[in-house]
Amino acid sequence: MVGIFIIGILMLVGAVSVVVVRQPVHSALALIGVTIGLAMIYLILQAEFLAVAQVIVYAGAIMVLFLFVVTLLTAGKEEMEAEDTLSGQRWAGIITGLVVGLGLAVVIATHSPVKLSTALSGSFGGLHDLGHQLWGPYFAMLAGVALMLLTGVIGVLVLNRPDQVNYKSRLDLPSGVSLVDAEQEGKK
Amino acid sequence: MRYLIPEVVVAGGALLALLAIVLVPKAKSLGSWIVLLALLAAGIDAATMWHVTASLFMSNTLAIDQYSILVTELVLLAGVSSLLLAWDADRFGDEFPVLLALSVLGMMALGAAANLMVIFIGIELLSLPLYILAASSRTQAGGEAALKYLLLGAFSSGILLFGMALLYGATSTLSFVAYPSITSANTWLLWPGLALVLVGISFKLAIVPFHMWVPDVYEGSPTPVTNLMAFGTKVGAAVILLRLLAFGFYTQDGSWGTLIGYLAVLTMIVGNLLALPQMSLKRLLGYSGIGHAGFLLVGIATHSVEGAEAMMFYLLPYGLAVMAVFGVLRLIEGNGDEVTVGDLKGMAYRRPWLAAVLIVGMLSFAGIPLTGGFVGKFFLLQAALFASQPGLAVGIVVGTLVGLFAYLRPLQTMFQRTEPSEKVQKVRWTVASVVVLTVAVVGTIGLGVYPEPFVHIVSHSADFYWLTGG
Repeated sequence: MVGIFIIGILMLVGAVSVVVVRQPVHSALALIGVTIGLAMIYLILQAEFLAVAQVIVYAGAIMVLFLFVVTLLTAGKEEMEAEDTLSGQRWAGIITGLVVGLGLAVVIATHSPVKLSTALSGSFGGLHDLGHQLWGPYFAMLAGVALMLLTGVIGVLVLNRPDQVNYKSRLDLPSGVSLVDAEQEGKK
Repeated sequence: MRYLIPEVVVAGGALLALLAIVLVPKAKSLGSWIVLLALLAAGIDAATMWHVTASLFMSNTLAIDQYSILVTELVLLAGVSSLLLAWDADRFGDEFPVLLALSVLGMMALGAAANLMVIFIGIELLSLPLYILAASSRTQAGGEAALKYLLLGAFSSGILLFGMALLYGATSTLSFVAYPSITSANTWLLWPGLALVLVGISFKLAIVPFHMWVPDVYEGSPTPVTNLMAFGTKVGAAVILLRLLAFGFYTQDGSWGTLIGYLAVLTMIVGNLLALPQMSLKRLLGYSGIGHAGFLLVGIATHSVEGAEAMMFYLLPYGLAVMAVFGVLRLIEGNGDEVTVGDLKGMAYRRPWLAAVLIVGMLSFAGIPLTGGFVGKFFLLQAALFASQPGLAVGIVVGTLVGLFAYLRPLQTMFQRTEPSEKVQKVRWTVASVVVLTVAVVGTIGLGVYPEPFVHIVSHSADFYWLTGG
């Protein structure tokens, strides 16, 4: 129990610093701390495979991608803080978040969850058990998640498509200018 | 497995359309045809299994009963209407039908959900394609709409998941159909968990404290996508809220009924009040959609079979009116410019048919007799009175009255005379849009004049209380 609290505090510190530190690279490093903390929680919950996958996939692969993008995009640029248009909303948000978060934390810490009605099988958390669960009772959800990922892939393709003429931006073309005009305009 | 065929057909249609787009890039409307046929086939198949005995599938994660079948039909109607409204428009991109089918699949999953995890996956599967579709017109407003929707949606999904984790801690199961039989739940974890889940679903349904995103997103998205958001998303979020609360938390109705009641009254009145000063028609419809979410909540708050029936009934006239109004909007907006109330000036003389359709839709929104909206509001009022909750009834009446003003203002503008010299933009009628408008108008008036058959269907579907958590 104490271990979970320590890991939780470490993860919270990491998560807060992802948001508040000024350098994007530091944010990415803080995010690695969060994912590793999550992996440790998986370990405590006997989900060894998930813990390993978490470290390999998130800390290993995805964070490296993040760091690549961050270094490529923001090299030598000063980060500007966006102006706060609604005065006081930041403080209101922080205070509300703290009150709700602390309230939930106290409730969860003082009231332990109910015990599972059926005992876990000996192989719980292993690769075999995970596979049996995913391809057995939870197959519908696995299929749903697969379709969600497919949607994500389509989304990247759609939103990054180079501008074709038939996707004309309404802001650039005054009304009455036909697509053909715009195309010829572009060729000149 | 027989009972999951509609879902499989829709998913298969989406994948097949994706393949067709890649393999036959020349055939522009092939993807749309495939998805249209898949949606229609799924609808017909779902209709043939109407007399199914309600039961749980896939180790108690999916419940197939008359409730889920009716939801399937409603969201398929939403999907088909959006697809038809976007039929001639190649500016939404080839993948529009694919994303639409995936979103509809998410809504269907919500109707059949019997497990918290299915709710989450259904909501995400519904939302992710909508985030993309919102930006698919590639305008600045569209990008803003998509980004707002994405960020707030991700945030609310986080809250929803947190709530689900707490519910799991309180009950040690994710299958919410088993909740009524659990006696040893830890209520200290149960209530915060339920509250967080309610926040997450309220965001999708646009209940008043969580409604800020609606007008911007509706305004920025292409009209067919807005049609899907206004009709399909509302159906999905409302039905899962009803099943989760009225079935999963059946025994603890005292604690959430009052809360939902207050939210319902607040949403009805605030949504319709904010619709009053809107100049942009899409924003007006956005706020009106918020108001209608409040009406739907009334059915949940009464916590009775009558309330559930009234809510399920209300979904169809609301959706048909959405189809009518957005169909007209799609035709008069031409190349996608924003339509304001002022643009409607003189429409009743220039384009009497379109004006007539718009009038039917708006009057149904407002709840005027002889339209489906009136019957829907009547049933809700009845359910509120049967449950002896006069506050809800007063809320319905006040909300309807305020809404009436909001809807009559555009109608009044349509009858103002204009200068004859003003240029009239040509309307490009398409077969697809005519089909949508005809179905919407005939359905709206049909439900208003002769609601009997649909009442019969609804009374079967709302009878889901017997489902036992295995």
